[in-house]
Amino acid sequence: MSQLLDRDRLIRWAPLLVLVGLVILFALVNPAFLSQRNFARIAIAAAPALMVAIGVTFIIIMGSIDLSMEGTVGLTAVLFCFIFLATGGTLATGGWLAIPAILLVGALIGLVNGLIHVRLRIPSFMASLALGFVGTGAAVLLTGGNIVKIEDDTFRALLTWRIAGFPLMVYVVAVLTLLASFIQSYTTLGRNFYAVGGGEELAHASGLNVRRVRILGFVLAGVFYAVAGILQVAKLGQAESVSGANFMFISITSVVVGGVALWGGIGGVWNTVVGVLIVNVINNGMVVIGLPDYLQDGMLGLLVIVAVVLSTDRRSVSFVK
Amino acid sequence: MDLQRLKPHFPWITLLVLVAFVGMTDPNFLRPANLLSLAGDIVPLFIMALGLTFAIYIGGIDLSAQSMANMITVVASAYLASLGLWVAALCVVLGFGLGLLSGFITTRLFVPSFISTLAVGGVCFSAAQWLSGNRALNMDADQRDALFGWMIGRTGIIPNELFIAAALLAVCLFIERRTTLGRALKAVGAGELAAAASGLNVTRYKMLAFAVSGALAAIAGLLFSVKLSGGAPTIANGFLLPAIVAVLVGGTPLTGGVGGVLNTAIGTMIVAVIRASMLYFGVQATQQQMVFGLVLIVAIALTIDRSKLRTVK
Repeated sequence: MSQLLDRDRLIRWAPLLVLVGLVILFALVNPAFLSQRNFARIAIAAAPALMVAIGVTFIIIMGSIDLSMEGTVGLTAVLFCFIFLATGGTLATGGWLAIPAILLVGALIGLVNGLIHVRLRIPSFMASLALGFVGTGAAVLLTGGNIVKIEDDTFRALLTWRIAGFPLMVYVVAVLTLLASFIQSYTTLGRNFYAVGGGEELAHASGLNVRRVRILGFVLAGVFYAVAGILQVAKLGQAESVSGANFMFISITSVVVGGVALWGGIGGVWNTVVGVLIVNVINNGMVVIGLPDYLQDGMLGLLVIVAVVLSTDRRSVSFVK
Repeated sequence: MDLQRLKPHFPWITLLVLVAFVGMTDPNFLRPANLLSLAGDIVPLFIMALGLTFAIYIGGIDLSAQSMANMITVVASAYLASLGLWVAALCVVLGFGLGLLSGFITTRLFVPSFISTLAVGGVCFSAAQWLSGNRALNMDADQRDALFGWMIGRTGIIPNELFIAAALLAVCLFIERRTTLGRALKAVGAGELAAAASGLNVTRYKMLAFAVSGALAAIAGLLFSVKLSGGAPTIANGFLLPAIVAVLVGGTPLTGGVGGVLNTAIGTMIVAVIRASMLYFGVQATQQQMVFGLVLIVAIALTIDRSKLRTVK
């Protein structure tokens, strides 16, 4: 029993310890890592990724998985630019309409995703992977492979307007993270995610409408992907069909590295925050200490395996597919 | 005539209907020369799908196949000059080894295969970028023709790729139907717990299934790089989706246990015909991904064995 307790405690605190350790390590190798400018750089890189990762966190808590984020982020980013330009091209003259519109689009994509997964009874990893391909395809179709630019200073203030050294988008993400944390801890829906992830049959037996919770989870995730799509446009000033590229790998890695168990029911938004920071500190730190950036995908691959292995209680798993 | 009895025959009926349909709209489509070149072009995809069949047959998935093929195009282009024909052996061994690694991570470390193969794919992508310096590499044309020219020529009117495809299909069919490995994989796919309970070394066979998948993805990459006379870390992007579609529309469900490599051959032909027909009907190449994504959803929904899934996660 005491061993189990230690294991639980270790798993809970390990991600944070790893993050602190990494920061110390990189700071020792190159003190420039600790500069405020570098922290801002990490925060900007992490901002859209965190939104995607928080979205998928809800899904993973339910024990499902969502691999559609590359398509959803790409499509919402492209659509955002189109609507933004169509409604005036500046935030003040009507471009702001694009923001609620895109959040709605994100919710709709999530709804379709959830319906395919739940109604057709297809495992979520495959349903969402297929839908992700459709999303990317739709983005290619809309843009014809071109780049759509947005040059509105008011909107770009998300990146350019800095408070205490950090751009506005970092604060937006911080507020939304608090919101996500609130949804997770203080709403029925948030608690239901844990009920489904902790034991679907039990949740069902206690009268929970599991299918509805699952679908709502995908809708919620879709909204967060849409936020990421908007932030991605704010960050780069443009959108294209590959605006969502690599988000799948980075976000899943972040969530798992942060200590959210793939089996469901364990971890939460704050784990994901730590996980996203770990991944982005590693990516940034590797560059700061002079390692080539193409090692990143390989690093992330090893990281995710180690994290899943550490978070798996092997006595309780008989086999995996 | 109930639906369940008909189900195994769906794939080839679909294929015939599609061919007839496209043939009626455009009689040129049915010319043997056209069909043969169509078949020749799809061979790298077919080989990858052949490998994926093994991973899906046991109820897993191999999402690293595309990154593997990418990496192999780089390896083949980089080492052709120094290794000559041995580069082929290097590629296959690399694919087999990395597949084995995916299998090990999945079975021994209890990491679900879609994550483990995604991670190994990440490692492959890094390796490919490192080896190529993020540039497109070219093969020396003379050397390629001398050593691997036989892969891509024509014998009479038949593209040589088709012979390679047929040979690999025969080998895989032999493995599936006539070896202990094949039988064991069927047992694992049909019911992993039962297979383990009857004394089968499930771990070993599952690892082998991923290794075979890796090796075939590597061969697909090799053939692709020979065809294009070069390699790059993202050159084979766009293979994964149609390859998975080929396996599933062929009739091997995500839940594994039924179907097999022959089904994948039919599935690949369906993919080839869908692709060709999209061109005839003026669907642009950029829209194909959308279409295949939708086809994938339909194919999974039709083939999956829901009795095996107590809860669908």
